[in-house]
Amino acid sequence: MRFKTIVKRIIIYFVLIMFAFILQTCLFPMVRFLFAAPNLLLIITFSYGFMYGPTTGIICGLFAGLMMDTFYSEPFGLFIMIYSYLGFFCGLFTEEYRNDSMILPLILCVVCDFFYNAAMIVYRILTFGFVNMEFLLKKVVLPEMFFTLLVTIAVYHILLNTNRKLDQIDDLRGQNAA
Amino acid sequence: MSNRYSKIMLIVITIFCVFFMAITYIDSSLLDPVRVYANYFLVPIQRNVSHFGNAAAAEIRENRHLHEVYAENQELMKRIDELVAENNRLRSDSLELERLRELYKLDQNYRDYPTVAARVISRDSQKWFNIFRVDKGLADGITKDMNVIGGGGLIGIVVDVGANYATVRSIIDDESNVYAMSQYSNDTCLVKGNIEAYETGALNISNIDKNAVFNDGDAVITSNLSTKYLPGILIGYASDININSQHLTKSGRLIPVADFSDIQEVLIITQIKTESGIVQPDSE
Repeated sequence: MRFKTIVKRIIIYFVLIMFAFILQTCLFPMVRFLFAAPNLLLIITFSYGFMYGPTTGIICGLFAGLMMDTFYSEPFGLFIMIYSYLGFFCGLFTEEYRNDSMILPLILCVVCDFFYNAAMIVYRILTFGFVNMEFLLKKVVLPEMFFTLLVTIAVYHILLNTNRKLDQIDDLRGQNAA
Repeated sequence: MSNRYSKIMLIVITIFCVFFMAITYIDSSLLDPVRVYANYFLVPIQRNVSHFGNAAAAEIRENRHLHEVYAENQELMKRIDELVAENNRLRSDSLELERLRELYKLDQNYRDYPTVAARVISRDSQKWFNIFRVDKGLADGITKDMNVIGGGGLIGIVVDVGANYATVRSIIDDESNVYAMSQYSNDTCLVKGNIEAYETGALNISNIDKNAVFNDGDAVITSNLSTKYLPGILIGYASDININSQHLTKSGRLIPVADFSDIQEVLIITQIKTESGIVQPDSE
């Protein structure tokens, strides 16, 4: 890919992730009937990692983590690390991406969300020394995973198709320039 | 090829993150400038979006209300007498509730702390941390460790502040510890936030002396012992106070007066507690 295209892509990822973050922090808390909210940043990170490979996954994870780290006052870098590892992990499956099947992305979504929540629980154990696992699983982890999965089913195709269009545009440009 | 690149990137990020986590663990204020500059850019967007969201939510709520009223009207057509009677009873109940609430409020002899009103502009929808951000910052004289009240009681404390925003940790967050006391007996206790207790609408109270006079329903206010919280701010009402199994201390639950599920506007007290007493920080 040409340098310009790469820069353009990175800007697109950044804007998209910022949009998702703002949605997640400003609008979701206002919706009363949601007893848990989907983790949009995770969805974007894992979809892009899966579609474009580990490098893209890491870049998206980096941006997503940066948003979370500037928002919270936890140790800086915690979220960057979690998200970029997840992006990288999903990127490893990029070879399997070619077909249109939804099964692998959904499995990846569940696995990623599980790891994300596991990381949060580990962080809690490290800071507080104890957690009530049953309560956290029932009230925090499972509802979140459920909603994230639901939103992934809805959003994944939109992301996929938009990216195909973008790829086509970039390909055409590349041909014209050549 | 791309795989090798990504591995190098991952290693660099890991080293970077571990390094920064270590230094922020030792001193959390070291990376504040990064947060502050990043938020110069993010906060104005968040402010506008949440303003828009609030307006939309209000609109939806009003619409839904209208539908309810319409449906209720239909019902009334059928069973008008019954419902009117019930309505009257409910209305008088709610008026009584309002009066009682007013009385309670008057009963609290707060010290008069100077406050600044602020609007909540963002709050994470995930449940792991209870932190929110308001639209007032250094420019409005807000500094770290200022207490935040609202809805008649203590809400939290400012943990991080930038030019145009401040981040507030709610007292329901697991990392929050507030030294408090009973308003009647002045016996001290420790109010701790807990994600699990809050699910049932409460916080935990512990470290009450076993001989202390601490009853269910006692008003709990912030104590003089606290290093960061100003004294005399109402937190909530004690409930389920029991002696612990070792018979050394009592503990229980505290029902907060502030409604944390729906915070939109808060008041930030512009005085902070330091070792030399309560001071008004110099505005820069």
